[in-house]
Amino acid sequence: MTSPSLPTDPSRWLSEPDALRLLSTYNLPVIAHRLATSSQEAARAAQDMGCPVAAKVVAPGLIHKSDVGGVRLDILTPDEAAAAFAAMCDRVRMQDPAGAIHGILIAKMAAPGTEVIVGMVRDPQFGPAVMFGLGGIFVELYKDVVFRLPPLSMAEARAMLMEVKAAPLLTGYRGQPPRDLDALATCACIVARIAEEHPEIHQIDLNPIIAYERGCVIVDAKILVHG
Amino acid sequence: MSHPLESIFRPKSVAVVGASNAPEKYGYIILKNILEAGFQGPVYPVNPKATDILGRPCSRSIADLPAGVDLAVIIIPAKAVPQAVAEAGQRGIRAAIIISGGFAESGNEGAALQRELVEVARRSGVRLVGPNCQGVNNPYHGLCASWPLLTQRGEIAVISQSGTVGAALMDWASQERLGCAAFVSLGNRSDIDETDLIDYFAQDAPTRAIAAYIEGVKDLDRFRRVVTDCKKPIVVLKSGRTAEGRRAAESHTRSLAGRDELYTALFRQLRVHRADTLEDLYDAAKVLAYLPKPVGRRILTITSSGGSGILATDWAEWSGLTIAPLPGPVAGQLRGLLPAHCIIANPLDLTGDGTATLYRRVVEITAPHVDYQVIIFGDPILNAAEVVTPGAPQLVIFLGGADVERQERERMHLKKVPVFPTPERGIRALARLFAFNEVAT
Repeated sequence: MTSPSLPTDPSRWLSEPDALRLLSTYNLPVIAHRLATSSQEAARAAQDMGCPVAAKVVAPGLIHKSDVGGVRLDILTPDEAAAAFAAMCDRVRMQDPAGAIHGILIAKMAAPGTEVIVGMVRDPQFGPAVMFGLGGIFVELYKDVVFRLPPLSMAEARAMLMEVKAAPLLTGYRGQPPRDLDALATCACIVARIAEEHPEIHQIDLNPIIAYERGCVIVDAKILVHG
Repeated sequence: MSHPLESIFRPKSVAVVGASNAPEKYGYIILKNILEAGFQGPVYPVNPKATDILGRPCSRSIADLPAGVDLAVIIIPAKAVPQAVAEAGQRGIRAAIIISGGFAESGNEGAALQRELVEVARRSGVRLVGPNCQGVNNPYHGLCASWPLLTQRGEIAVISQSGTVGAALMDWASQERLGCAAFVSLGNRSDIDETDLIDYFAQDAPTRAIAAYIEGVKDLDRFRRVVTDCKKPIVVLKSGRTAEGRRAAESHTRSLAGRDELYTALFRQLRVHRADTLEDLYDAAKVLAYLPKPVGRRILTITSSGGSGILATDWAEWSGLTIAPLPGPVAGQLRGLLPAHCIIANPLDLTGDGTATLYRRVVEITAPHVDYQVIIFGDPILNAAEVVTPGAPQLVIFLGGADVERQERERMHLKKVPVFPTPERGIRALARLFAFNEVAT
């Protein structure tokens, strides 16, 4: 398995396009996306991938994008995407006039499904640990997450999914279709492999991954790299 | 081929360095316990100021010991310990149990002394248990180099980073006449750690299950390898689960307690059972050592106490066990056998009429139809011990039986059938056998 070598700056978050690119090389199912550097490119991207789309500013050093108006969801037309590009650049510049803006990431809006989180943290004592939980209050309020230590087999990854208290939400709760457990387990296994092959990666947050009856899609990804 | 730790558990001859004539000192207590536990080989007290202790002639120094001693138990001031270990090595002694405190647990100076001790031991070819520990007890070898004096033989090996916690477990097992395979107090783990001991007990014939109290795993990679190779069930009570608990663990035995959820992951992946309380550790060890693996999840509760049967049923349901209905013909057969007021269902309530004879008939009739029987004796049922069979898929709970209960429990334990004091403790322990999805739902 070859994968692109990563930049070697001191500890920092990869830009979202870089993070998604790395995940793609491992065949992880990332949301369709394209980096636009002009209003026209934003419109074209929306046109090509089909609306609705989301727009997210890509600016190094900007961690909380939504706090500065750097995220817009449910854009319904290419024109709207072009307008969003301009408005978003203005807003972010107003907040941080000196900060560089690499562009605006136009990404397809994912169809509704069950939100889950797959993550990885590197512990000083245990080394990498892969985390799984259901999105929203399940992780934040109930801390309903489970961990596994790589290497991770598919069987172990499947067992991990079933260990969260909210697991019934994945297996067909109240007439909902069951979610694609193998697709989620595969994500966890690949994240474990990335952790082993990239010792410079300190943390991965795939949050959320939307799980469907068949397949799943990574909507947002954060990757922390140590130099 | 003998295990490298053989001289700790099965020494031919033992020296007690720092043996004492003062009954309140550990140098006296440990020597006395070794003698009273029935150790078969020569035992040599070492003390430059005494001529004999407990009727045994005293050696003035380690160098004066006769040849052939393979284990030294050392109870002298910390500063003198490294020198004693060096002398022991020169005298051909291969292992030492260091009871003395005043090492890494006591600050920087002690930590330096411990490093020196480890260095000396390595150079001298001496393996160390401790320091700052409560010793080793192997009742199969008459070796109680520890306290209190406990000699009941059993099948649970106890490893503990806390002397008291481990001794409590062995004390319970002794008092119940179930016994232990061995007890080791790790103390500061300067050399021998939990992983070495799991490796030893994995090949130790009497040991059927390993119960460990630890505050942190010392060497994670080696722990993974050894536990993966260990064919015997292991249950661990790991403390230091909260932020404050972690801090306390660090000052107790200098253990890095680590992130609790990662320990959960580690244990889960290695198929190590995790206990939440000391009682849970004991109960789980009893089940894992003495009860057979189930072939399925269907359980039948047979009880003389309605309330206990319901408590057991609730816990069984919570634990994912299946409360199997009695097949029609079996119910019919029981109907002919039992008084009219007995409730022929699951739980099967024999009420106050539950004599040992009746229990035995019911157990025989129903055994072929379920995967595990939960047998609750809820009254002073004489000869209850004759109802149960060692090695059979039967979980036994006894309560409300006063003197008869105590007598029957002892009889059952002597025939290697573990008995649990409450329905919830029994069922929670039983559920261990179904963990890790080894049994189909």
